[in-house]
Amino acid sequence: MNYENIVALERKLSLPETHFVSGNVYTDKTIFETEKSKIFFHTWHFLCHESELLDKYDFRTISFLGQPLIIIRGSDNKIRSFLNVCSHRGAKIIHSPSGNSKKLTCFYHLWSYNDRGECTSIPREKGYDNANLQKRLCGLTEIKTDVFMGMIFISFNKKIMPLNDFIGNSLDPFKDTLCSGELEVFHYSKSTIKSNWKAWQETNLDLYHEWMHVLLRKTQINAGNMKDRKVKIMPNGHAMVGGLKAKYGAYKGINYRQSSKALPGLSSDDFFFVDLFPNFAILARGTAIRIDTVTPIDENTSLVEWRGLGLRGDTSKDRRLRWKHHNQYWGPFGRNVPEDAFAAEACGEGFIKSASRYQIIAREENGTGQDDGMLRAWYKEWSKLTSLNINKP
Amino acid sequence: MLKYEEIVNFIQKSCWMLDEEDFDGFLGLCSKDFQYKITAFSPEINKEMIWMDEDFEGLKSLLGMVPEHLRRLGKFTRHVSIGQTSRKDHEVSINSTFIVIHTDLDGKSNIFGVGRYNDKITYTINDVFLLSRNAYLETRDLGIGSHVPI
Repeated sequence: MNYENIVALERKLSLPETHFVSGNVYTDKTIFETEKSKIFFHTWHFLCHESELLDKYDFRTISFLGQPLIIIRGSDNKIRSFLNVCSHRGAKIIHSPSGNSKKLTCFYHLWSYNDRGECTSIPREKGYDNANLQKRLCGLTEIKTDVFMGMIFISFNKKIMPLNDFIGNSLDPFKDTLCSGELEVFHYSKSTIKSNWKAWQETNLDLYHEWMHVLLRKTQINAGNMKDRKVKIMPNGHAMVGGLKAKYGAYKGINYRQSSKALPGLSSDDFFFVDLFPNFAILARGTAIRIDTVTPIDENTSLVEWRGLGLRGDTSKDRRLRWKHHNQYWGPFGRNVPEDAFAAEACGEGFIKSASRYQIIAREENGTGQDDGMLRAWYKEWSKLTSLNINKP
Repeated sequence: MLKYEEIVNFIQKSCWMLDEEDFDGFLGLCSKDFQYKITAFSPEINKEMIWMDEDFEGLKSLLGMVPEHLRRLGKFTRHVSIGQTSRKDHEVSINSTFIVIHTDLDGKSNIFGVGRYNDKITYTINDVFLLSRNAYLETRDLGIGSHVPI
């Protein structure tokens, strides 16, 4: 037995089984394939916000676990998602990330589809008569899609529970804000990070990691109200965290946030967030909201996408202020998110070749402060769906 | 009148100071009315975005905090190619293209970002100052991002 195994064994023996996670969970290819089939192709996943599809025929294209998707608002205002591949030769149809079009035409042989995914045009169609190809059977493959508080979710699982049941009351803290009808996405950025997807999601679940951020040490930890923060574990692996007020003036260079600029239903110093299993987080900071999602590219590489939400009717001056509030924390040049990405990549290095054998998720603070309860609840759901043990996968 | 060579030298100097993380030196090149922005266009949401937006005092505060942050290790090198300049009174507008290369602690270099600088400088007989810099990024996947201006 080598040194690492001895250390790992000691840890394993001294902790409850729910309080540590095997390093294999982050690196094993078989486990990764299990996650794809049992989690990502099984549950609901956030794709985009309805403000990205404001008008009829607006579309977005997104790659989800390598599947090219197109999401389009139809002439009936219903939002539908399809595999973005032509029924003819399988070419990706729409390449632009966003746009507006009544007709989706494949560049290759000009087969066309409408906003319902129906195949509407096949050039020189008679050439298929002998083979009895039927146009009505050549539509795009539709993916189950639903909208919750303005957020668009999809599932590849046709038998999945309704989205309302999946989310339940988990997003109630955001209800007044998200249902105001006044929000739009004003920021979008993405990063490919060298780490397992769970390492990113853990930065949204691990409250104890606030110590890493000098910004959060000054504006949250030293603000003296850590015990006011409450962690609430919700059904289906979701969790919500609230009760903390941020002191923005405590960090030199971070602006005080005027109450007049707060989003509907929020106070300017509010800080709370909700994690939806498996890969979604939404965070409120009074004047801006952040949504982030992580999707795996392979077991060691992940795509993280961030959206910032503000008021659709912002004046240019207010929008500039909201960008600043959002991006000083959460932008690619912010004081917060780049550090989380650094941590996720550093953990990625630790997981490779099992250099890190176990992760400890054992903090208990009665659901306050920096309790690891969210991590344990998340892994409980992970175990339920994958039928794998987190410490002996 | 400021010569083209002096303009080139000034812009290069501003980049070298950022490369060396000589933030006091960089701020010393800036006017007290300096405005700094990093912008990008998102084809996903079809919007222009401002990713960093600071005046002189704001930038000074944020740069002063950089050493306290956990951040990408290694070094950035800014390669700037100056394109067009235009002059009005004692101001010069300069459009450049840049490539920012990151070299990690193992000596491996990768492109961090590509874009354009839109700079404005002002000058007197003795001094040249940066009035504004807009770093417009074409690169939008910046890996783990950065705490320092580009």
